[in-house]
Amino acid sequence: MLEIKNLHVSVGDKEILKGLNLSIKAGEVHAIMGPNGSGKSTLSYVLAGRAGYDITEGLITYNGEDLAALAPEVRAAKGVFLAMQYPVEIPGVTTMMFLKTALNSQRRARGESDLDAVAVLKLVRAKAKTLNVSEEMLKRALNVGFSGGEKKRLEILQMALFEPKLAVLDETDSGLDIDALKLVAEGVNTLRASSRAMLVITHYQRLLDYIVPDRIHVLARGKIVAEGGKELALELEAKGYEHILKEPA
Amino acid sequence: MTLVLPSTIEARKAEAATIFGSHGVPTRRVEEWKYSDLKVALGEAGIGTDQALWQVDTLPDGVEMFDLSRNGAPDWVQKHFATAGRNIMGTASLTLSDGGVALRIAKGAKISRPLKLTFQGNGHVRGLLVLEDGASLTLVESVGIADFRNVGFEIVLGEGASLEHVRISQQSADAVLVEEASLCIAAGARYCAHFVGFGSKLSRMELEIALEGEGAQAHLSGVSVLDGKRHSDVTTHVIHRHGNTASTQLFKHVAGGNARAVYQGKVTVAKGADGSDSHQSAKALLLSENAEADLKPELEIFADDVKCAHGAAVGDLDAESLFYLRARGIPEAEARGLLLQAFLEDAVAEIVNIDQRELVRTELLTALKRVA
Amino acid sequence: MSIAAETKAQVAEIGDKYKYGFVTDIEMEMAPRGLSEGTVRYISAKKGEPEWMLEWRLAAFKRWGAMKEPNWARVHYPRIDYQNSYYYAAPKNTPLKQSLDEVDPKLLETYKKLGIPLQEQMALAGVAVDAVFDSVSVATTFKAKLNEAGVIFCPISEAIRDYPDLVKKYLGTVVPVTDNFFATLNSAVFSDGTFVYVPKGVRCPMELSTYFRINASETGQFERTLIVADEGSYVSYLEGCTAPKRDENQLHAAVVELVALDNAEIKYSTVQNWYPGDENGLGGIFNFVTKRGDCRGKKSKISWTQVETGSAITWKYPSCILRGDESVGEFYSIAIANNYQQADTGTKMIHLGANTRSRIISKGISAGKAQNTYRGLVSIYGKAKNARNYTQCDSLLIGGDCGAHTVPYIESRNPTARIEHEATTSKIAEDQLFYCLARGIPQDEAVSLIVNGFCKEVLQQLPMEFAVEAQKLVGISLEGSVG
Repeated sequence: MLEIKNLHVSVGDKEILKGLNLSIKAGEVHAIMGPNGSGKSTLSYVLAGRAGYDITEGLITYNGEDLAALAPEVRAAKGVFLAMQYPVEIPGVTTMMFLKTALNSQRRARGESDLDAVAVLKLVRAKAKTLNVSEEMLKRALNVGFSGGEKKRLEILQMALFEPKLAVLDETDSGLDIDALKLVAEGVNTLRASSRAMLVITHYQRLLDYIVPDRIHVLARGKIVAEGGKELALELEAKGYEHILKEPA
Repeated sequence: MTLVLPSTIEARKAEAATIFGSHGVPTRRVEEWKYSDLKVALGEAGIGTDQALWQVDTLPDGVEMFDLSRNGAPDWVQKHFATAGRNIMGTASLTLSDGGVALRIAKGAKISRPLKLTFQGNGHVRGLLVLEDGASLTLVESVGIADFRNVGFEIVLGEGASLEHVRISQQSADAVLVEEASLCIAAGARYCAHFVGFGSKLSRMELEIALEGEGAQAHLSGVSVLDGKRHSDVTTHVIHRHGNTASTQLFKHVAGGNARAVYQGKVTVAKGADGSDSHQSAKALLLSENAEADLKPELEIFADDVKCAHGAAVGDLDAESLFYLRARGIPEAEARGLLLQAFLEDAVAEIVNIDQRELVRTELLTALKRVA
Repeated sequence: MSIAAETKAQVAEIGDKYKYGFVTDIEMEMAPRGLSEGTVRYISAKKGEPEWMLEWRLAAFKRWGAMKEPNWARVHYPRIDYQNSYYYAAPKNTPLKQSLDEVDPKLLETYKKLGIPLQEQMALAGVAVDAVFDSVSVATTFKAKLNEAGVIFCPISEAIRDYPDLVKKYLGTVVPVTDNFFATLNSAVFSDGTFVYVPKGVRCPMELSTYFRINASETGQFERTLIVADEGSYVSYLEGCTAPKRDENQLHAAVVELVALDNAEIKYSTVQNWYPGDENGLGGIFNFVTKRGDCRGKKSKISWTQVETGSAITWKYPSCILRGDESVGEFYSIAIANNYQQADTGTKMIHLGANTRSRIISKGISAGKAQNTYRGLVSIYGKAKNARNYTQCDSLLIGGDCGAHTVPYIESRNPTARIEHEATTSKIAEDQLFYCLARGIPQDEAVSLIVNGFCKEVLQQLPMEFAVEAQKLVGISLEGSVG
């Protein structure tokens, strides 16, 4: 589903990713781990198409298409979803109205008809319940005044609502206590499907206790330096990044 | 700073004529008109002596009306007409207008149906609205298109009175529209005003608001959405003459094309007006290379026990918010529209009357499509 | 008696707190009273100026005759009779001096009393000083050491004779002769001031400083300062001012021009402590000053820091023209007005180049019956892509008889520019004051502490040598003023 070959990405004058390779098939859950500043968030932004992240070399292929050529909203409509580490607060736009606009935009882009307000509300309520997102939260302005946990839950709610093909979760565990983490992980796990690929980006092994990946990649200095099964996370936990970074990639 | 006013309307008009005579039509060299050169906008036509018109849609029960062009003004008109405000164009309309409308809401009357007032046609015209003690009203003011019109509006709020004033000014390429409203707000009275402007060749809404008694309040908000060569100027002066008074101002402007958005807001706290509380915020978004925003939030403080603050900002749409919306599948143009609406929303949300608020939202949507 | 009432009663004493109010008894040479073409010629001749300079002055004088005194500032003062003042006053027997040993001991004594030791202590402090006494520069220290680095630091009258090409190239290019009433007057009659040139790539080895002293009575001071930082150079310049206590108002109309070329940086700090007048508003300096910096080169930077505690009237807007791409302008200001002082001060940030940035931090403190106005312009021109400005403007009121005013002008003509402006007005919090008192801090010290805290962001910008002095000055200026 996703094929990244020799990806080089610069932000301003600075090269952050320096020849990254990654391949994810439908139905798989991959995790990217790495120390701070290794380029994890850059990878997630490049996949979602944020301006200012320039691909200087390499190729990202998504279901056979050159992903870099697509605008962010086109990627979303084609099933790319990024759960952001810091979801943006937008005063003046209510959460419910945002969800409806986004959902219908994606549907329209795929040639589907709009859902009316009642249908959207029904859909959202059903998903909201399992993620413990209150009715009151949906009425408030998008992410404004939300706690860290609330913001992350709303991101997962959107993932459930939009049913993406490729979901990228950027440090979804950051700032969450253990109960909130479990809730979010459960939400993610119910979305695991044979048609869906997931890329979980995290600094800590903790999240991977709850979202067990098929494969783990270690990102450092802009490259994948180690790869393995889920046991790699435990090794990292026990020995730290230093240990892995010293070994030849 | 209390003006000693002549006792008759004629004498007050004569005084205004003297003041206007010494100033003439303002140019940008007059500090208060720095961003709106009226003389240039009018060109050779000048301000003329035409009499502009007014119209009131079905008078709600409990509202008394008097045509100012007629003789025999009742006592309440004699008492209040031409008593407030001596800014330049206000004195021009006092000098050059023979007519206009005076409206009175009797003591304690709560008028539930909005009063709709329209000023139209070319030339000068006066308005007077008196809410006696404890009265309340929603005033919906429409602005008719004209080559040039100068409205001088006086509003008097008695103790504990409450007025919501919604003014919508439609866009027009060639109109030069000027209005000065002067308000006296007594103790415990509350004035809420909302100005929605889509700009014209030169469009100026000027307010002078005196908070005269304990607990008097003025809450102003406004939005303007401008494109083409539209110009929109909101100039306010809120004077806290008495202690424990409060004022807030929240103005949002969006300018595209070659448009120019102007906000000048001055807050004065008079000596001894302790406990005054004032907050001012003015923000503008520029959408094109040739648009301009000029903001001048001003504080003039002569008392120490006050809380006064203002903020102003000019910029473009937040890139991060735009990306977030697009990453969730909302196309760029739509996402921009959504963010523009959101930018204006807190100023629109201040409108208490639900029908008016929805009407404004609809009008803004149309205008934003034109601009974005 | 409440804290407020008690301390308000102390306001009257402040008149005695001005430490620099003495007069130096020294024989002076004066131009004839009044202002005419003759006066301009007299000054030029006294300075032994070349013909081009005289022509420049005469053109300015002619222009000035057709100009009107500005009246837009929030300051009120009696009409100035420009014919009833002296435009040139110099201590006798102070020809060009080569070393401090030749300087009249009375003058050295004067500067010592002012806390500006021109001799050995200065060497320890490591600051080069140009001392301007009324209309002339009386001493410039450390010239030799600066020469080694290639830095020119001398009285401007000397520069006109010795470096005419440099002066011609830059004088009047930042503040044109026709700029405003007071700048034009200065252009006609300026007597002395400081000239600094820092050559390419040179980081000036020490702080440069000019100390201005008005001594003679009924005399105006019109100094002219020109600082040029050539490509990649850096200089930090300090300026201090005092004057004797007199019942008359004396005019000070200076012009300061700064030019920063590519990658150059100029840091200009002022501690202005001209005599502010007495507690009844009698006397004091009228300080009408035009200060402007031109960030002419790309990535250049000009930073103004001012502590304004003196003068009966201050009319002053140190500004930056951000012409070069990526240039940076800064304005840090503390303005304190007490008794009957009136200050109308602020800045202009004119963004012309792309990616230019400016920052304005203004702290105004009003006490007594003073009026204190911040007036500032941020103007973004069409080509100033991605320009950024941040302005923070805070006013503190002490007592109910003073005024604090904020008049910002924000003009943007570029959609990629971002401007943010915030302003607050408040009074000294009784609870803060009480907290300090309850912990045993005497009232005046508590006020000084709180006000210094209020001003901290600005004080931090001052060079070490000035910061301590400025902090003390903040305290002294407000002694006994709290309510």
